[in-house]
Amino acid sequence: MSRPSPKLLHLTVPVPADIKGRRRSGSIVKVEEVGGRTEELLDRNAYLNINANWVNAKGAWLIHVVLVFMGKIIIDTIPGMTQQISWTLVNLIYLNLSYLMFHWVTGIPFDNELHGGAYDDLTLWEQIDDGAQYTPSKKWLFTAPILLFLASTHYTNYNPWLFAVNLTALIVLAIIPKLPQLHRQRVRFLTGDASGVSTPVTPSFPKMDQNPLHAANPAESHFG
Amino acid sequence: MDSSTSVALEPLLSFLAFSLSQIESGFYRIPGSAVVARYVKSSHQNDPGRTILELILVIFAIRTLLQSRTRTDRSGKHFIRFSEKEIDELVDEWVPEPLVQPLSEWEQKDLNSVPVIAGPNGPKPKLLATGKIVTNLASFNFAGLAGNEKVKERALETLQKYGLGSCGPPGFYGTIDVHLDLERDIAEFLGTEASILYSQGFSTISSVIPAFCKRGDIIVADRSVNFAIQKGILISRSTVRWFDHNDLKSLEDTLISVEKDRKKRKGPLTRRFIITEGIFERDGEMVDLPKLVELKLKYKYRLIMDESISFGTMGRTGRGLTELYNVPASQIDMLVGSVANGLCSAGGFCAGSAIVVDHQRINGTSFVFSASMPALLATSGSEAITLLRNNPSVLLNLQDNIRAIRAVLEKTEGITLLGHRASPIIHFCLRTQQQSLSVTQSTYDHEAEERILQDIVDDSVANGVLLTRAKHLRGQEMIESRPTIRIAASAALTRKEVEKAAGVVKASVTRILSKRR
Repeated sequence: MSRPSPKLLHLTVPVPADIKGRRRSGSIVKVEEVGGRTEELLDRNAYLNINANWVNAKGAWLIHVVLVFMGKIIIDTIPGMTQQISWTLVNLIYLNLSYLMFHWVTGIPFDNELHGGAYDDLTLWEQIDDGAQYTPSKKWLFTAPILLFLASTHYTNYNPWLFAVNLTALIVLAIIPKLPQLHRQRVRFLTGDASGVSTPVTPSFPKMDQNPLHAANPAESHFG
Repeated sequence: MDSSTSVALEPLLSFLAFSLSQIESGFYRIPGSAVVARYVKSSHQNDPGRTILELILVIFAIRTLLQSRTRTDRSGKHFIRFSEKEIDELVDEWVPEPLVQPLSEWEQKDLNSVPVIAGPNGPKPKLLATGKIVTNLASFNFAGLAGNEKVKERALETLQKYGLGSCGPPGFYGTIDVHLDLERDIAEFLGTEASILYSQGFSTISSVIPAFCKRGDIIVADRSVNFAIQKGILISRSTVRWFDHNDLKSLEDTLISVEKDRKKRKGPLTRRFIITEGIFERDGEMVDLPKLVELKLKYKYRLIMDESISFGTMGRTGRGLTELYNVPASQIDMLVGSVANGLCSAGGFCAGSAIVVDHQRINGTSFVFSASMPALLATSGSEAITLLRNNPSVLLNLQDNIRAIRAVLEKTEGITLLGHRASPIIHFCLRTQQQSLSVTQSTYDHEAEERILQDIVDDSVANGVLLTRAKHLRGQEMIESRPTIRIAASAALTRKEVEKAAGVVKASVTRILSKRR
């Protein structure tokens, strides 16, 4: 009684041939959009996102100036510090910390239960102002590193290497991630398919790996 | 030639030099201009390359500052900004759409073909249109409990005592002692610690799944699960992986690949669930429960099993697949069943450990937000369980009838029977030339097959057997299945009646298919 009868005919209409036996994707680098599904949009709009609203406060604008100022003073107290190294250090530390805060970390630390994980793929930059571009806070956050860079080149005379380092750091860490064309896009290196031939992935299945635009994890991207 | 052009250009050049000196003197007259000039000179530092780069940066920054704000993500990408005149034109020519679109011809025919029954439903109802008595092979009445006299008596007593309505959701004035009795009866019957009662069968499984599976959890589900389970999975927002229908090898492959993915991503360990049905409503296949439990224990998943069809029909006394395979019900984490199908009453239940059941009292959405079932339906359910316990021979009758129907239909030309041979619902579909899976979607015509099956159904009804096609929402389910006719065997009919009815179906099939050929 418990042995099932042999299957005579599969009931389901077979999936089209291009999904079965799908080849592994050949590209090394792929740009993908995240966080655009309807359920996620709906879940984001249910409540106010306090994790992203604080950047609109005026104190949050002023804190950049204050922190840079204090950072410069502290770094200047280190014995043997020249102006070139000091400004470079201030510049690089500011750019790295702001990249870490705005463009690397995803998800929300507070009120995670309210939004049900709808923000898990979004960085703070993408959460600000519900994804609108060219808002006042975003314009300020865009301009602040540029102003810092211009101030640093005005007050010292960089040798060409340090100038190149500063400029590249500015462009790669501050300008490119903030461009509206890269909003909610992720660059993936060498991804394999998440499933094998036997269980082809349905179109609505989200990709399992997360590999945002960064170069600090070469091992994972290399063996991915 | 050179001197002539320079002679011609001389007044132009002297004019340019004069205007430049004018601008310069005008600039120095503006207060604060000396500061700006000194700043620019010291910034420049005799390095034109850097100055150009910095100028480009400044221009870029100013351009960014001057851009106007774009729309947020939430407003959608399809917003078109119309002018006032265009808005007025659109408003003038607007004609409201009807609330419900008029039915197409096929849908109208489909609606008209649903038979209306005069009087109570039962194994042999009377049709309103013709007044004839027909054998009911369409309604779910597996153990013959519909119209059972003892159940009716008990229901009438309850109606006298409690009235009809239940006054609210179960958590808020809606729970009556008979509900608690039924929950206890179901838990004792199945051998679990506790059970919770939902008032509608469809929304039971689609409330249980979101109560336990959240975003970030992993669900591994069978491809052919019914619509309610698909909706539950969609609501839960979990990551879902599908495995091939009733194929435990494919399930194992999927479980292994999920674990590999998680290790590759170095992700945290989240809750993982396997969701499947005991007997699949779509085609009557039965799942191999011991092997499934073995897999679940090996890969450490929780099992949610929907026993909507198998509860009340399988096993010696109708306890379902757990009794059939002799697997203790505690091995299944959430056992969801239907009081409407198996016990011929209404609603559904979820049985499991005490913690599982208590969690659903707050987190089961249908439990919290829907009204509880009327008291008389709860006592009908309890009475049905008592009847099943005391007369297990009805299930032997049911199995006899199933065998009889299958024996007759297997010999019918032109159709293929689906499903497990002990399953109380028997699906059959048209047999096509190509038996294999090489039928491509473009040559496949759902509509034509549905029309043929509907003709068979109509012909059977005309000859005294009530049949139905398996109805699905086209375009809304995850996979499209072939149209089938679904026969629900019943223990209330005798073997002779069942054989006669199956013979009528066979004759209808042969008649319609030969007409088509």
